Amino acid sequence: MPERPLNRICYVEDDEDIQRIVRMSLERVGKMTVEVVGDPMVAIGKITSFKPDLVMLDWMMPGMDGPTLFRKMKEQPETSALPVVFITAKATQRDMDELLALGAAGTISKPFSPKDLPEQLRAIWAKLP
Amino acid sequence: MNTLANGIDTAEPGTAAAISADIRDRADPALVRADRVEQLYSQLPLGMVATIVIGVIAAFELREGRFIELVLFWGGLLALVVVLHGMLYFGYRSDPRKLQNTAQWLRWLGIGAFAAGAVWGFAAAVFFPSHADERQVFLAFLLAGVISGGIPMYAASWPVFAAYAAAITLPFTYVLATFGNRLFAEIALLIPLFYGVSVAIAFRLNGVFLAGYRLRHAYQRQLIELQEARRQIEASGRKLALFAERAPIAVLELDAQGTIHQVNHAAELLFGYAADELIGHSAKRLVKPKYHADFEREWGAVIGNRAPVAGVKVRNPRRDGIDVVCEWTVTPLVNPDGQLISVIAQGRDITAQLEAERMKKEFTSTLSHELRTPLTSIIGSLQLINAGVLGEVPKDVGELTEVAERNGQRLLDLINDILDIEKIESGKLTLVPEVIRVDELVREAMVLNKGFGDRFKVRFEPRGELVTREVTADRKRLLQVMTNLLSNAAKFSPEGEVVEITTEELAGQLRVGVHDRGPGIPEAFRSRIFGRFTQADSTATRHKGGTGLGLAICKRLVEMMQGRIGFQDRDGGGTTFWFELPRHA
Repeated sequence: MPERPLNRICYVEDDEDIQRIVRMSLERVGKMTVEVVGDPMVAIGKITSFKPDLVMLDWMMPGMDGPTLFRKMKEQPETSALPVVFITAKATQRDMDELLALGAAGTISKPFSPKDLPEQLRAIWAKLP
Repeated sequence: MNTLANGIDTAEPGTAAAISADIRDRADPALVRADRVEQLYSQLPLGMVATIVIGVIAAFELREGRFIELVLFWGGLLALVVVLHGMLYFGYRSDPRKLQNTAQWLRWLGIGAFAAGAVWGFAAAVFFPSHADERQVFLAFLLAGVISGGIPMYAASWPVFAAYAAAITLPFTYVLATFGNRLFAEIALLIPLFYGVSVAIAFRLNGVFLAGYRLRHAYQRQLIELQEARRQIEASGRKLALFAERAPIAVLELDAQGTIHQVNHAAELLFGYAADELIGHSAKRLVKPKYHADFEREWGAVIGNRAPVAGVKVRNPRRDGIDVVCEWTVTPLVNPDGQLISVIAQGRDITAQLEAERMKKEFTSTLSHELRTPLTSIIGSLQLINAGVLGEVPKDVGELTEVAERNGQRLLDLINDILDIEKIESGKLTLVPEVIRVDELVREAMVLNKGFGDRFKVRFEPRGELVTREVTADRKRLLQVMTNLLSNAAKFSPEGEVVEITTEELAGQLRVGVHDRGPGIPEAFRSRIFGRFTQADSTATRHKGGTGLGLAICKRLVEMMQGRIGFQDRDGGGTTFWFELPRHA
């Protein structure tokens, strides 16, 4: 378990409504600092400059999907070690297993409960080495 | 009959000889008797003419002296017998029911024959002793003639001949035996022997006649049956042809080389070719050129094995170049000698079915993603408002946002349930089995559903000690089953009631029971409670929520985990829903 508490989250998501809900949930309920990125093509730069504790990725996005972005993050030294949680409406067990096999720290399926989202992320954070 | 490897019946070549061996036994005895009687009566006119001619000659020869009165009397008797025979003959001929009355007509003929014989016997008895030698020879010759003439006359019925001949020989033998002449006495001894031989010959002839009549009738019957069989074969052939012709599937008849010999109308419609454009051509016309080598290999296998193949999916090019996907059943027809007669290929167009399956898959995927994403925003927003994250909201607004959240959740439940059912029924749901302690599962389910129970003011409580044994099951899916049973119990229990949960071990099975005090399951609903989209009272859906898919999903999930699910009435009112899973060894 990391020594410091989970505080800085970067969320890559193209849907503005969900961006707003996640931001509100994490900021107001979870008291965390949130950076939302709407365009996955510029995500790596934003993540590098924001320096989050954890990155949340949507799976299906225009331009570049979550798993592709995840692989690109792994290639960059600045982002390769960051824990990544996928948040997705693709909810089959096989999809989830695939993501975990890629090295994802966890998965959260849509629809999620914004009341419980910070707790779910903290639980994943607590299990990290 | 012989059955081919592919189930087609066919007649064996040696059957005809076997049938003719016992064919005579198949003749109708009534018809055979009618033939015999007809034969006997058809000879009557000849017999009457012969009797008159012989009678006149005899009367002329025996007329002299004081015997003239006796001769006249005898002649009168003979004339009477002839007249009576004439009446018998015309009576028989004019009887419309003579085929049915054969026994009676045979009896009358027997009596007539006996009477005729008796008249000749009378002549022997009266005229033989009273005449001189040459007249006696004449008389003996005459009597021998009328006896032997009776054999062909009455051969169709030997007892009639026996009666006729006996009536002649008995008085004649008596006269010869009592004449006082040694030679005549010896002749009297021989006459019964002649009689016996004559009757034996008549008996043999009778047998020959009978065999002939039987054979004739048996063959007649056989002929009728053959005609009927032929008619039936033609009718069933027409019927089969009609079935093939009108069948909604394509039917082709091919030879061993794969050349098409016959096609039905559905095949013409399906492939866009007229029958003439297919008949005489190879079936390869209906196979894309790049698959010709595959086709030849598989066709060779079918012809080589002589065994039908089914469910072969082939992409067939139509005449207009568009492909159709067909599922083919190919049946080689083989005769008893193992020779291939023809090959029947039946093809069903499954293009639309495959397209429907693809669309269903696409729809499910769309339902999964495109509906869940906006629902995430809707339910998420409402949850944040209702949880007070944004501060206090006016009471009326709060009530409405709660309604909106609850119904958003209902919609989500419905989507999830439909997806679950679809996944289970298409065999795409995979379980992740793990060893689970039953008591822990029950407690976890109670905690998870406490909020739901609170909404209906119902408490969940375990009754008695919970079993600490383990089952092998998918934890998430088993919790889904428990959640379904608990939420149903809460929904249908009166406010303030307790829903009890029990666990017990029964012969290697662990049973979990959920006992409610609800209104019970209506009789009419019991048989379909585990069906899809079923709720006993549709107004309950509006008031209490629920998709009507929950129990259907529970049943399928429990069965996938090798378990059973059921329900029973509870003493004191209410219902117990239970499921059983095999105990982990």
